[in-house]
Amino acid sequence: MANFNIDADKDLTYDAIVIGSGISGGWAAKELCEAGLKTLVLERGRIVEHVVDYPTMTLDPWEHELRGGLTPEQKAKHPKGGRSGFIGAFNEHFHANDLENPYTEVKPFLWVRAHQMGGRSLLWGKQTYRWSDLDFDANAKDGHGVDWPIRYKDIAPWYTYVEKFAGISGEALGLPQLPDSHFLPPMELNCVEKHVKERIEQDFNGRNLIIGRVAHLTEPLNGRGKCQFRNRCDRGCPYGAYFSSNAVTLPAANATGNLTIRPFSIVQSVVYDEQKGKASGVRIIDAETSEEIVYKAKIIFVNASTLSTTQILMNSTSNRFPNGLGNDSGELGHNLMDHTYRVGAMGTVEGFEDQYYKGRRPNGIYIPRYVNLKDGPQSDKFVRGFGFQGGGGRSGWGAGSNQEAFGGDFKDGLMKPGPWEFFITGFSECLPYHENQVYLNKDVLDKWGQPTLSIDAEWKANELALNDQARQDAKEMLERAGLKDVMEFDNKHEMGFGIHEMGTARMGRDPKTSVLNGNNQVHGCANVYVTDGACMTSSSCVNPSLTYMALTARAANHAVSELKKLNL
Amino acid sequence: MNRRDALKKSALALGAAAGAPTLISLLQACAKTDRLTWTPQFLSEDQARFISSFVDFLLPKTETPGGLDVKADVFIDLMYAKTYDEAGQNQVVADIEKFNADCKTKYGKVFAELSAEDKANCFKEHEANSPKFPKTVWGGAVGPREPVGFYRGLKSTVLWAYFSSEEIGKNVLSYDPIPGEYRGCMPPSEVGNIWSL
Repeated sequence: MANFNIDADKDLTYDAIVIGSGISGGWAAKELCEAGLKTLVLERGRIVEHVVDYPTMTLDPWEHELRGGLTPEQKAKHPKGGRSGFIGAFNEHFHANDLENPYTEVKPFLWVRAHQMGGRSLLWGKQTYRWSDLDFDANAKDGHGVDWPIRYKDIAPWYTYVEKFAGISGEALGLPQLPDSHFLPPMELNCVEKHVKERIEQDFNGRNLIIGRVAHLTEPLNGRGKCQFRNRCDRGCPYGAYFSSNAVTLPAANATGNLTIRPFSIVQSVVYDEQKGKASGVRIIDAETSEEIVYKAKIIFVNASTLSTTQILMNSTSNRFPNGLGNDSGELGHNLMDHTYRVGAMGTVEGFEDQYYKGRRPNGIYIPRYVNLKDGPQSDKFVRGFGFQGGGGRSGWGAGSNQEAFGGDFKDGLMKPGPWEFFITGFSECLPYHENQVYLNKDVLDKWGQPTLSIDAEWKANELALNDQARQDAKEMLERAGLKDVMEFDNKHEMGFGIHEMGTARMGRDPKTSVLNGNNQVHGCANVYVTDGACMTSSSCVNPSLTYMALTARAANHAVSELKKLNL
Repeated sequence: MNRRDALKKSALALGAAAGAPTLISLLQACAKTDRLTWTPQFLSEDQARFISSFVDFLLPKTETPGGLDVKADVFIDLMYAKTYDEAGQNQVVADIEKFNADCKTKYGKVFAELSAEDKANCFKEHEANSPKFPKTVWGGAVGPREPVGFYRGLKSTVLWAYFSSEEIGKNVLSYDPIPGEYRGCMPPSEVGNIWSL
């Protein structure tokens, strides 16, 4: 079932190389292949073909011997990733082996990795929101970090472009701080969510509670089926209903006949040609044979995921770039950001006992940012803002563990829908701090003898102040919406739990203070583009993946146009 | 009831010579807790007997299957065997032994041999003294957290073993592997028991 051309070794020279096949790498591959470029995608892990390689996609709990439980041997492979709480037997095969890929936590940092074709696009949360000029202006306005070299108008058409192909469901509302996407029909709120929405919007001027905007099809698109509401996304979707590289961009790239994907290819470095003043190719180590191979190309897209991309750039040293490719500024590895996680409130809702729902909706509610808006009041406690995700549902049998009851009536009672519960949890923006950084660690090597990363980053006063406000606001909103037993929480998770790593090779206007220019080209090495989370200049409080898609499509089309003009 | 008591009582019953049906039902009742009908992979016979009696007392058969009907006890032993590391396994054994030792101190017998009344008293006491599980958001605990202890942990495991079984998941709860749509509001009467997945 060789649907993909994986025979890279017969040809060592390509028009373009893309490092990584996750959300941004998949988009780069699609755009470059469709422009007619012979493109090699280098993937660190194995091939995962859509549907074919989703072994658990339809398994019911009882069809797995341990009903989703992990063996000690499986758990031992994920001492770090396991902290996320998301690894179980039905998705364990999509999570990287921490033992083969160590990293060092100078301060606690959770780095969740997925080393296979498709990367974390198989596992992501699929919340997709446009950023706005509230975000792109932010650094310039309050002086944190450096100014983004682009504004909303530069990326808006690319948002539309990627949305039409990816398929984003949601409701258009015309909010300036959360611009509308090109939408497929929205998913439905359930009764309690509708009720809470009404109460919050009535009581809090300027706050909205909306259905999440998500990269799930609610109508068929380009041969992909619509969401069947099974909520088994992280096993791979047999319908291709959610956006993943495997289901969407890589098949499109492959259909051009221009794609070669090489699995088990650990990128050691980007090779810099001192004479020509640009990159000439990529050196890899074959993960299975440890053989070193250099592939050549005119354009190189580095899309290995935020921290892995920076690791590769740091490892790519030359006379011209002794401190890592594109690191004239000294900013490579710095300004690491994430979003805060699990800070909010929950409670129970009375009065809807005659209501239930059907379907396991892979989506919840969203409360867009309402603090420090462009024309609104400004907080004196913090800059930037936060948004909330959340949702409501009726508790099931799991609630039985805490009930002070046992026996036949207890058992049969658990078969009926329990009380309605509702929660919201905030995602706060993280400022770009120079001292939040990663660097190469040559004392700890990976399975293939390569230096690994040390991560030294932490939340600071502004993030903690945002979280305090988010927690208090969450409680206030739920209480005023009439919820009972409202409990606020702040798990104070370390950075990384948001799994929204951003920065470390930021875009900027000035090569002296940034790594990439406004087209995502590496300063001083114009034929290398970085369009994954590493490129981000600020973090917004809004989920970033849609912005990676748009930036990637924009950069790929820039690269093709420059190539045609013989500028690369 | 243990085997010796049962024999004593059956001898009495025989002596009375009036109640052969009583004798039969008595023997059947005892066989249920006395003789293990399955071979544990990890637990000893005594420990397995504890798990079986715990399962049966927590989730007895009613109009719907009981915990033993869906072999929740067999699955829990499998969990211990295949998903616990050695430290976890040692802890389970120690916890079962302690639970039984406490039963002996308080009620004179290990849990499996207690009368229904004493089992209920034992459970009530543990319910009152065991901390609760924290609330969760996306599978992660939030709010105040403290260890729930062996009783509530096992109770939770038994519920999982029961409700994740094929019989309950497919035939008792409302099973809909491919809903195809999301309906945000509908009367529970159109669904019946809760969704199983």
